[in-house]
Amino acid sequence: MASLTLDKVRKAYGPVEVLKEINIAIEDGEFLVLVGPSGCGKSTLLNLIAGLEGSSGGEIRIGDRVINDVHPKDRNIAMVFQSYALYPNMTVRKNITFGLEIRGVSNEDRDKAVADVAKLLQIEPLLDRKPSQLSGGQRQRVAMGRALVRDPDIFLFDEPLSNLDAKLRVDMRTEIKKLHQRLGSTIVYVTHDQIEAMTLASRIAVMKDGILQQFDTPQNIYERPNNIFVAGFIGSPSMNFINATLINDNGRLAVSIKRDNDPIVLPLKDAPESYQAYIGKDVVFGIRPEGLTHKRTGSDAPDSQYVNFDCKVEVIEPTGADTMTVVEIGGKEIVARVRPDRAPHPGEVMTFSADMSQISLFDPATELRI
Amino acid sequence: MADIQHYSHDTGWKNTILRGLLYLVLTLFAIYYLFPLFVMISTSLKSLSEIREGSLISLPRVITFDAWTYAWNEACVGVECSGIKIYFWNSVKMAVPAVLISTFLGAINGYALTKWRFKGANIVFALLLFGCFIPFQVVLLPMSMVLGKLGLASSTSGLVLVHVVYGLCFTTLFFRNYYVSIPDELVKAATIDGAGFFTIFWRIILPISTPIIVVSVIWQFTQIWNDFLFGASFASGDNAPMTVALNNIVNTTTGVKQYNVDMATALLTGLPTLLVYVLAGKYFVRGLTAGSVKG
Repeated sequence: MASLTLDKVRKAYGPVEVLKEINIAIEDGEFLVLVGPSGCGKSTLLNLIAGLEGSSGGEIRIGDRVINDVHPKDRNIAMVFQSYALYPNMTVRKNITFGLEIRGVSNEDRDKAVADVAKLLQIEPLLDRKPSQLSGGQRQRVAMGRALVRDPDIFLFDEPLSNLDAKLRVDMRTEIKKLHQRLGSTIVYVTHDQIEAMTLASRIAVMKDGILQQFDTPQNIYERPNNIFVAGFIGSPSMNFINATLINDNGRLAVSIKRDNDPIVLPLKDAPESYQAYIGKDVVFGIRPEGLTHKRTGSDAPDSQYVNFDCKVEVIEPTGADTMTVVEIGGKEIVARVRPDRAPHPGEVMTFSADMSQISLFDPATELRI
Repeated sequence: MADIQHYSHDTGWKNTILRGLLYLVLTLFAIYYLFPLFVMISTSLKSLSEIREGSLISLPRVITFDAWTYAWNEACVGVECSGIKIYFWNSVKMAVPAVLISTFLGAINGYALTKWRFKGANIVFALLLFGCFIPFQVVLLPMSMVLGKLGLASSTSGLVLVHVVYGLCFTTLFFRNYYVSIPDELVKAATIDGAGFFTIFWRIILPISTPIIVVSVIWQFTQIWNDFLFGASFASGDNAPMTVALNNIVNTTTGVKQYNVDMATALLTGLPTLLVYVLAGKYFVRGLTAGSVKG
């Protein structure tokens, strides 16, 4: 096990820069998730760490060792691929021991290592089967076994759950998390699924167009997204963005949202100093669906974090646990998360509570967090 | 192979007539193609006197294998009268190494062109592909000069070299198209596992290449065994392959034309390729389509 440092790592194919100065550092035993939409460069970054592609600049270190020019096999890493990449002509046992065999590990040691890993992953009955005789979930386990058996410094996972069906994906997610907690190994995990990122990571790196957007703990990324992209990418349903103006409302900062008849004025709670420069200017007001709910008890108190306003309901989408209520504010469809027993009917006017302690303001020009 | 489909909802008289018509046409075609083979086999089993008396299509009254043994042991190729057997072995000595070497090199080429892509890989592949379309006649003179320089003129080794060189284009094409459908992640995984170019080739790629190896072997064997032009041009006398000897037996007539011997020799010459098809034919179709479906 070891720490991993990416220092100004770049990658370009000719004139096309696919990764721009990526700086990431994780400690020993951390679970780093690289997340972003397709084509953001996350898989390329993983390939650079693995050594399957060469970087165009910067430094990659495992522990204190610079590994830019080290061959993949000597980096002491193991990788699990999206397609599992099991060797189709070999049995599960052979698949798992192939790497050890190439490295000249003795027969007895190999047998012992396989037995340990098979027990850990509960694939003992499968050892003499060929990959074609396994189900998707079993293949996934074998692929993990092949990585685990080598006891590497760092595990690399390249979208390992994308080929599984929804139910199995959730099960394997938990399994990977359990495994990480048990082994305490350093993991770099690539996914485009933000839920996987949130549930698994100790730290998340959100990427877009080859640029690192934010690198932080899942909770910080969720609560304090750096920019509109991160705010919209992380969280489901996505954060609501409403065009608003920051105003000084009787000595208190508030966002004012235009509406046909009367504007909605939402006073801010504990506004930071940085907001001062934006008084009187346009801002993008971001609030997550769970920050917009049915009227909360105690929301009428003068110092409450909740602010109430009335709005006409357009559509409701029950999910069972919550009812997603769509309203139109400032020309945009906004989703509120309402308790099912408080769910309104479409067309009804309902009182909503906005939790002003959980909001974000963004600069509309730079799209950065204010 | 897909199962035969039954269109049970349309089983009227129309269907029956169409089906009958289909079988009629197919039967006619089958007769058309099989008739020459029938004549060859029946003629080869007749004695010379019977051929003179009877008609072309009559079955032999007395079945005799004399013509076959004569063709194998005694038929005259030029002035040499020791049968076709030495030329049969010439062909084997030429075809087996040429098939194996060209298939193996094609596999390595295909592997390198798809899994270890280097700069200009596409150009190399395009040039190799171009090789498939060069008519053999064009290269006869330059090739004979090269063989002369290498000291391989009129030898079986020379023929092997020629067939390997001209088979490479096809075998590379086969293997390249097959390997394109194998996920690159397999090679990446093996690289991280510590395997190099040849270890990956031997341990992972080659073991999953059986269908395309069969295709390549059948194709190459048929091409090389049946080749006449290169055999006639680059090998002479005792080193000539069977096809050249067949021509010499059939075309050089001294005295009476022995049709039964000619037929037996021709059948002997065609037998090996026929055997390869019978034994591995079903893999041929399977292997040709395997890559394209997975794509």
